[in-house]
Amino acid sequence: MRNPANLVGGVGSGQPISLLESVSIHFSYENGYKVFENINISVGQDKFVGIVGPSGIGKSTLLRIMGGFLAPDSGATYLMGKKITKPTPKVVFVHQSIITFPWMTALENVMLSPRSMKVPQSEAEIVAMKALEDVGLQGFEELYPKEMSGGMRQRVAIARALAANPMVLLMDEPFSHLDELTAEGLRQDIYNILFRVDTPLKGVVLVSHNLTEVLELADEIYILNNIPATVVGKLVVDIPRPRSIRNPKFSEYLDFLYTKLSPPGGKKNE
Amino acid sequence: MNEDLIIFLSVLATAGRVLGLVLLSIVTGWFLSYGAIKGKIFENIFISISEVFESVPVISFFPVVLILFITRIGGPLGVELAADFLVFTAVVWNIWIAEYQAFKTIPREMVEVGENYRLGFFSILRNIYIPFSIPRIVANLFPSVSDGFFYITVSEVFTIGVTTFQTFGIGTEMQALIAAGNTNGIILAFVFLAFVIMVIIFFLRSFSKHAVAKYTVDTDTPVIRRGRFSFKNTTRRLSSTAATPFTRLSKYYRRRNPSVKNEMFEPERSGVNYSRYILATIGLVILAIILYSSTLLVLSVSDGEWSRLLALTPQIIIGLLYDYSRVAVVIAVTFVISITLGYYLAINSRAESVGVPLIQVLTAFPAPVYFPFVYVAFYPDFHAVFGPLTSEFFVIALAFISTFYYLFYSFWMGVKAMPSEYQELMKNLNMGFFSKMRRVIIPSTFPYLIAGISSTINSTWGGLMIGEYWPSIYGSRTLQVSNGLMRFIDINTRSGNLGAAAWASFVFGIVVVVFSIFFTRRMMDLARKRYVAEEGVFAA
Ligand SMILES: Nc1ncnc2c1ncn2[C@@H]1O[C@H](COP(=O)(O)OP(=O)(O)OP(=O)(O)O)[C@@H](O)[C@H]1O
Ligand SMILES: [Mg+2]
Repeated sequence: MRNPANLVGGVGSGQPISLLESVSIHFSYENGYKVFENINISVGQDKFVGIVGPSGIGKSTLLRIMGGFLAPDSGATYLMGKKITKPTPKVVFVHQSIITFPWMTALENVMLSPRSMKVPQSEAEIVAMKALEDVGLQGFEELYPKEMSGGMRQRVAIARALAANPMVLLMDEPFSHLDELTAEGLRQDIYNILFRVDTPLKGVVLVSHNLTEVLELADEIYILNNIPATVVGKLVVDIPRPRSIRNPKFSEYLDFLYTKLSPPGGKKNE
Repeated sequence: MNEDLIIFLSVLATAGRVLGLVLLSIVTGWFLSYGAIKGKIFENIFISISEVFESVPVISFFPVVLILFITRIGGPLGVELAADFLVFTAVVWNIWIAEYQAFKTIPREMVEVGENYRLGFFSILRNIYIPFSIPRIVANLFPSVSDGFFYITVSEVFTIGVTTFQTFGIGTEMQALIAAGNTNGIILAFVFLAFVIMVIIFFLRSFSKHAVAKYTVDTDTPVIRRGRFSFKNTTRRLSSTAATPFTRLSKYYRRRNPSVKNEMFEPERSGVNYSRYILATIGLVILAIILYSSTLLVLSVSDGEWSRLLALTPQIIIGLLYDYSRVAVVIAVTFVISITLGYYLAINSRAESVGVPLIQVLTAFPAPVYFPFVYVAFYPDFHAVFGPLTSEFFVIALAFISTFYYLFYSFWMGVKAMPSEYQELMKNLNMGFFSKMRRVIIPSTFPYLIAGISSTINSTWGGLMIGEYWPSIYGSRTLQVSNGLMRFIDINTRSGNLGAAAWASFVFGIVVVVFSIFFTRRMMDLARKRYVAEEGVFAA
């Protein structure tokens, strides 16, 4: 492996401006726990980026930093070359724990995003209906989250994210609460929705435990490991779509990921 | 006929006062709590003030309130405001702290969704914070309404020196009816009051069921629990009734300074930064006003007056010792009754469906209104048993009636919130009653018990205040005990000696705050560290 810090082009490294780019991120929680040391991640235009890493390594934390929810101790995240200092609807975060508001119907939950962007009521409703349809929830608009299954709720959360018309979607384990069949269907749907021409969406960051899932979807995969975490590897997935796990490259990549993901501890990378 | 109508209207006026003030507490609490979670300085001031006032029994600062409202504002408005203020202080702290806790413990992810879409101030309150706080508010409504009714009837009419101040309501009306010996009127008043309270409780129960169904965050939703032990997370699991302030917690919160702003993606709205200063300024202004008026008050007292007040202090301390013994008796009785009855009701759904609404109605029914009749009717019987201690018995009984519901509700909710696996485990092991209590139930409801006991202690003072010196409780009879701080405050208030009453409340206030720091908080910390078994459950 090359030195992780050199893996991606930083601002001013001469490469074209990335869609979303986090540069030399250092971060500790308030209790002093050091999560990251010099993380660099770059999401190119129309790219689907995967992030994998052992549990508790800091994947959710990283997405929060990329979305401006947490400020890094040093380093910064840039959207189209401009620094993100606080959360913006242009970069929408889909949480690992499914976040829907129990006091709102599915439709109201989804309308929250267009309404907050001052879209008039009637228009917001159209946008929300469309988003619900995209995730396959037409006909369930009036249900409350408590009346829905976990998978349906996650789709509401995804619809809410889509209804904001973001440029970047940060997804934290979006499919982990779904059964495999539903997850598989939704993965394909999401992929198709994401890069449809009529959306302003230009990039996706997906965090997942499920290596097969990441290999199936991502163009590039960042591997986080060690404590504090660093990028210990980056994988460019060069398999034509639709991808099949029977492709020999698939298992080759999978093996590579497994070796990189051995639990953090004594063995320091490189 | 006309008189009947007046009685009915007086009941409505009282109920309106209580509900109106509860509503006022709720609405103001939303804004203050939001301010508190947004501004560090404001938070510290808000929580410290709420904490002190919450632990000082309301009734003890009634004399001071009287001075302010009667002398400064005066007229019917002054009397009305004095009564309202007393009730407000009875209900408000509980509700404010519940709201603050809700706002403080809202899942980070929910707030992030709001931030992500940049919801505005009203939008974020209306869509996220307020709905999230509703279950906690509801959980606090029953004791708050009971407490409000308890105080309204005694605050509607009060005497300073030779002047009696009164404002329209059932408390005032009842006294007039008793004075006139109008038995029919009295019975009618009870019927109307019972009817109105039943309607209110029915409404509250339906609303709390609705609130639990609609507003609670489903525990099935996998809300990620962070690995490390953190106080901020633990508050989330604390009881919905836990009325403890969380100043300490806020100390664990450090703000991260945003890194140097060079080229920003979107310019920060300048308002965001100002709002912090505005909040801090508001907080500091409130603090300054309190300090300023206390200084004025202190300066206005002459040297001679000071030495007179200091001379009274030993008497005040002795009275306080008497009263703490009474409190101890009340707590012991309340504890035994709450854990047995509370446990029985919590595990026995048939008994619960009758028992709990019954207790809710009974406790909302203001004790000071019916107590004189109980006193007169049963005096001879109890005199035969207790002899010279009969007055003591009645005073403690009144204090018990006025207060046991805090511990009762708290414990009952604690049992309801116990993980159902515990029940199964206890059945599985075939544990006996005492073994269950000692090994499982009391430890796992410990945070609730502590919260309940501390509220019960605080409101016991209210009952003592009324009972220890109650002239013309019925006709010409007077209920009184020979020693007690509350009696001291009562007598001095009534004889117009407000300086002495205020001084006694002040000394008392200090003792109570010290007690809360050394006892209540320690117990709460212990409870939080060792005995938290579940996420708060909002039982209706
Ligand atoms: N608010 C917090 N305060 C202190 N430490 C935290 C906080 N949140 C998370 N952590 C710690 O930071 C580390 C990274 O947490 P994070 O949630 O980002 O991990 P993750 O990689 O997303 O894990 P998982 O795969 O289980 O979701 C963990 O060790 C966690 O205990
Ligand atoms: Mg995570």
